[in-house]
Amino acid sequence: MNALEAENVTVAGRLEEVNLSLPRGQLVGLVGPNGSGKSTLLQAIGGLLEHDGEVHWFGRDLNHIPVMERGRLTTWVPQETQFAFGFSVRSVISQGRYAHGDDDHGIDGIIARCDLVELADRPVNQLSGGERMRVLLARALATEAPLQLWDEPLGPLDVRHALEVLTMARQLADDGRTVVLSLHDLRIAHCLDSVAVLDNRRLRALGPPDDVLTPELLLEVFGVKARITPGLALEIP
Amino acid sequence: MTRGAASRYALPGAIALLLFLMITALGVGDMPLSPARIWAGLMRTDELAAAIVWQIRMPRLIVAVFVGGSLAASGLVMQAYFRNSLASPGLLGVSSGGTAGAVVAIGIGIAGTSLLVMPVCAIIGALIATSAVLILARSGASTERLLLAGIALNALLAAVTSFVLSQSILSYERNAQILFWLLGGLEDRSWEHVWMVLPTALAAILLWPLGRSMDLLSLGANEAQSLGVDVRRLRRIMIVLSTVLTALATAVSGTVGFVGLVVPHALRLMLGPEHRRLVPLALIGGGAFVLACDLIGRAAGGLRLGIVTSLIGGPFFLWLLRRKV
Repeated sequence: MNALEAENVTVAGRLEEVNLSLPRGQLVGLVGPNGSGKSTLLQAIGGLLEHDGEVHWFGRDLNHIPVMERGRLTTWVPQETQFAFGFSVRSVISQGRYAHGDDDHGIDGIIARCDLVELADRPVNQLSGGERMRVLLARALATEAPLQLWDEPLGPLDVRHALEVLTMARQLADDGRTVVLSLHDLRIAHCLDSVAVLDNRRLRALGPPDDVLTPELLLEVFGVKARITPGLALEIP
Repeated sequence: MTRGAASRYALPGAIALLLFLMITALGVGDMPLSPARIWAGLMRTDELAAAIVWQIRMPRLIVAVFVGGSLAASGLVMQAYFRNSLASPGLLGVSSGGTAGAVVAIGIGIAGTSLLVMPVCAIIGALIATSAVLILARSGASTERLLLAGIALNALLAAVTSFVLSQSILSYERNAQILFWLLGGLEDRSWEHVWMVLPTALAAILLWPLGRSMDLLSLGANEAQSLGVDVRRLRRIMIVLSTVLTALATAVSGTVGFVGLVVPHALRLMLGPEHRRLVPLALIGGGAFVLACDLIGRAAGGLRLGIVTSLIGGPFFLWLLRRKV
């Protein structure tokens, strides 16, 4: 049985009849031009947007799971957030434990893992965009949810933190979680297990990156010509 | 003092301040009472002191504390709801809605028919105003949009109140009653008014356990929903509680402005934004603030409560706006 099954997911004017099946323990990239429906699909899967069609997690309709239980099964990281109040970084991360009875389990380890020790007591509304994103990702890790939905997590990050986040996402997938993240940089697609291409509000293709991201499809969907060149290879020492 | 130290001493400090202000409020007035005579009055061993304490000062004091606690808690809830620290019952027009409801009840002559009429009319007026705010400025609305919605609503409700006032121009008694509500004050508050404002205690108790989910909501509705908060249900509870708190306070004291803005904001500056801590402190701190303002008004020769809170809150609001915009 697949872990995540989306059937005919439609959001009026934003997404049309998306069918998606993803196994457990995969790192999946959601790509597509601006306005193709990536964020909408992530929110619909996360039960945060009114939609037609159904989303099942191991056979259970996510829309009919009580909100608190769903908070333990899925988590969603927004593309950008403005914090209206100055909660400390630690306090925001510990919000990830809300659905677990606010037990603060593992918070210190996650703070260290996300390189946030020095920022732990800082108010979140004084952080840079990249730092805020790391806080949101840390909060998502704290939920221990088996389905992680991250909306363009790499966008505001510097190169080192982007690599760290990708490594973290890979570890989560290897631990058996399903991580779906939207992204723009197709050059990192080779790090992913599969790629879903959205075009004009519809799912265009889904499968391993090498099979899906063909020069023909890239030209058609993104209007770019793909060429393989030896580039700069970066890794964490 | 650091935030950590401030938060450790905040609750006992606020309770001590409130108790001190309560004893002061029982002692000062046209006939000052020493602590010993206050005690004798409370124990009813001194008849004159007992009459002053139990008939005049105690009901006014209790109403002041409940009004202050209600307005501050209501402001705190609205700020979390709208994710904007400038949201408050006065600025958004919810207080004006409550006042308009109460004034209409006086204007059409039904206010005296039952003890329930005024609070019910105030709640209806405040609920209508709240609904209008919800339509005009959704959650997460910008400061500008929120304030503009509040200006529009306050102007509209002021027109309703002025209309009722102009219609009852020939009745001195009704006009005086209406004016009382417009200026906001605690003069001549009796045990009847204490009973009217008492249900706010229930609203406050219901609010208490919502602190953590309010934290999550104040950082974004979708984020909160994703983390396990039933946002629709929470919002419904928050809006009903904050409206009822404002309306009941308005029904017994008239329009007392800026409490819902000043108190939560000052507490947030001192103790941080966590609502589990802020809810009880807003209730106690709001009570202490209104009681202190009432004492200042009494010391200044009978200055109305609404005037004192506006004299303090107005400049505070302008300072806040300057910092924020």
